[in-house]
Amino acid sequence: MAIKFQRVPSAQPSVAFAARALAIVLALGVAGLVLAARGNAPVELAWEVLSSTFGSSFGLEDVGLLVTPLILTGLSVWVALRIGAWNIGAEGQFYAGAFSATAVALFIPGPTWLILPVMFTAGALGGLLWILVPTLARAYADVSELITTLLLNFVATLMVYYVATGPWLDPSGHALATTARLPHDVPEFWGIVHYGFPLAILLTFVIAGLLNYTRWGYEVRIAGSNPSAALYAGMPFRRRLIVILLMSGAIAGIAGMLEVAGTVHRLQGGISNNFGYLGIMVAVLARGSSLGVLAGAALMGVILNSGIILQTQGITVSAVLAITGLILFFTAIGNELAHYRITRTEPAAS
Amino acid sequence: MIDLRNLSRRGFLNMGAAAGASLLLPKSGLITPAHAQTPLAAVAEENAVIAFGHTGPVTDEGWTWSHDQGMKAVQEAFPKLKTLFVESIPYSADATRTFRQFVSEGANMVFATSNYGDFLYDVAKRSPDVAFYECDGRNPLENLSTYYLAHWYPTYVTGVAAGLMSKSGKLGYVASFPVPSVFSGTNAFLMGARSVNPNATMQTIVINSWFDPQAATQAGTALIDNGADLLFGIMDEAGYLQVAEQRGAKAVMWNTDIRRYGPKAYVSSIAIDFKKFYVDQVRLRLEGKWTPSQTILPMGGGIDRDAWGETVPTEVAKQADAVRDKILGGWSPFEGEIKDTKGNVKVAAGHRMTEEELYNWDWSIEGVSGLQA
Repeated sequence: MAIKFQRVPSAQPSVAFAARALAIVLALGVAGLVLAARGNAPVELAWEVLSSTFGSSFGLEDVGLLVTPLILTGLSVWVALRIGAWNIGAEGQFYAGAFSATAVALFIPGPTWLILPVMFTAGALGGLLWILVPTLARAYADVSELITTLLLNFVATLMVYYVATGPWLDPSGHALATTARLPHDVPEFWGIVHYGFPLAILLTFVIAGLLNYTRWGYEVRIAGSNPSAALYAGMPFRRRLIVILLMSGAIAGIAGMLEVAGTVHRLQGGISNNFGYLGIMVAVLARGSSLGVLAGAALMGVILNSGIILQTQGITVSAVLAITGLILFFTAIGNELAHYRITRTEPAAS
Repeated sequence: MIDLRNLSRRGFLNMGAAAGASLLLPKSGLITPAHAQTPLAAVAEENAVIAFGHTGPVTDEGWTWSHDQGMKAVQEAFPKLKTLFVESIPYSADATRTFRQFVSEGANMVFATSNYGDFLYDVAKRSPDVAFYECDGRNPLENLSTYYLAHWYPTYVTGVAAGLMSKSGKLGYVASFPVPSVFSGTNAFLMGARSVNPNATMQTIVINSWFDPQAATQAGTALIDNGADLLFGIMDEAGYLQVAEQRGAKAVMWNTDIRRYGPKAYVSSIAIDFKKFYVDQVRLRLEGKWTPSQTILPMGGGIDRDAWGETVPTEVAKQADAVRDKILGGWSPFEGEIKDTKGNVKVAAGHRMTEEELYNWDWSIEGVSGLQA
């Protein structure tokens, strides 16, 4: 009798869940050992993190505020992955969305009920335009969107630095140059958490619905898993690819709009907090599941917030980053292992 | 509470030398009087939690290190209280989260050792029982004090030395962002240099960071390549001092005595010391006497030029120190007529710039290039 590891194409949800939970526990265990070796008290730290995050509305509000852009940038990357494309540029589209929304807020006068939807649209359009060239290059010239979207991130970041330190600078003085405070805020519905949070969840369900319950979504998914099969079946791969990528950019743009109008209220360099890149992590954690985007974003949000709590407890930024990396690393391994099942093979009877 | 408008600078300096002067700073053109409100309740030392949020690492040997020394002075003066600190807080919503976390861990006082603007303001507004401080802040609240340093005076003094020591008359400046500290720093330095060499000019390079040794080093190299033989800047570390040392140029630094990174290049530093300020402020809070204040620590009371470097000629040191004595005696170099880079007269002849005008300086004087305004 021999034992064989057999890879299955899609992990059973229960196995995947158990693998991830185990991975997080293991990662925290390793992190705890490292912290104990450094002379910290890991159990007390863990208690502090848990009680600070879940024991008060303060902590929950912070997580809610963090999760909002993570859901959207995660959704952005995840949507592109449905058709097999890598949008590494959610960061740049985030900035482009924040930039466009800020332009509307600063230069178009009007009442908030009117301007906010215009800002929202501008944010989506900004993200969409930022991915337009990579999309067309991929669709018509087969230029890897992975490279083009990534490179445009740097352009967007510097563009925002330029306007925030130059033409749109608020001269009243901040340590970091910013624009003036935007006159329109996304209203808050719970503590500091604004309506972007339910909106992000709603958007996730809408897109999941489109992908799962429409013919269009079916074609996208087929094209994603096997482009040749999709072409053979007469499905318009290129058209689907263009729409999906533009959608992906628009979603990241919305994330940028919500961050500037709901959370930060001024455009400045560094506003993205790396949400675009973290979105890639969220999408990877989510795998094929749209609900996984929400769960992945929630996990990332809790991890990032825990990082801040740990820093107030005297753990350095680099140690916090290392712990974060450890959790993601273990989770990724757990995800992969969940795809294997152990089978016993009996030698063929003679 | 002393109103800046009625305060002569001599009085300001005399009074400020002890605990730091209280000033009222303008908010969108208006003077908002700090309210003579009831002080925040006293806190027993053993129950007190004092938090510090820093922009850089406490090991930077510069700005953040100096503030960390202040925290250590607080610990020494009040050994029973608890201190918290977080370093390298980004200027993003993460700053808000960090300050909120301080509050949720029971902080009675939160010192933001850099200008975090709305990221701090929004937290302070929601936590009225906590005393907040913002270094270089401009939007005070009833529980949010601001504090800063009159760095333009020692900067002018070192500028005089720079003007005497620079052979090319071309000065270089490694800037963080086009913000008032940078405008007042570049302007004061060049004015000092021009007082002895009217042809001096200053080129600036903005690197979009307060702590980025690599970018600061590159900027310093580029400035020297362009002909500058004396560098100044507003960095939290020693990057461009090392460049100056290697290239045979001179450098004026900020924050602390870091001459060992470039003993031949080192001219002086805008040296800062927040220890007394922090201890005094914490005492007020513990004793139940805390009300909001706006403080600018004067030259000689928290900020000064550092001891001159080994290659600074005695004559130069003497001449610059004579200017320092004059300023300590009540004279101000910041008097009209002063023109901006386009040649417009921004400060009329005979007008002496007030402390709030110096604090909020947001345009470059003639001779400064590279800063937008």
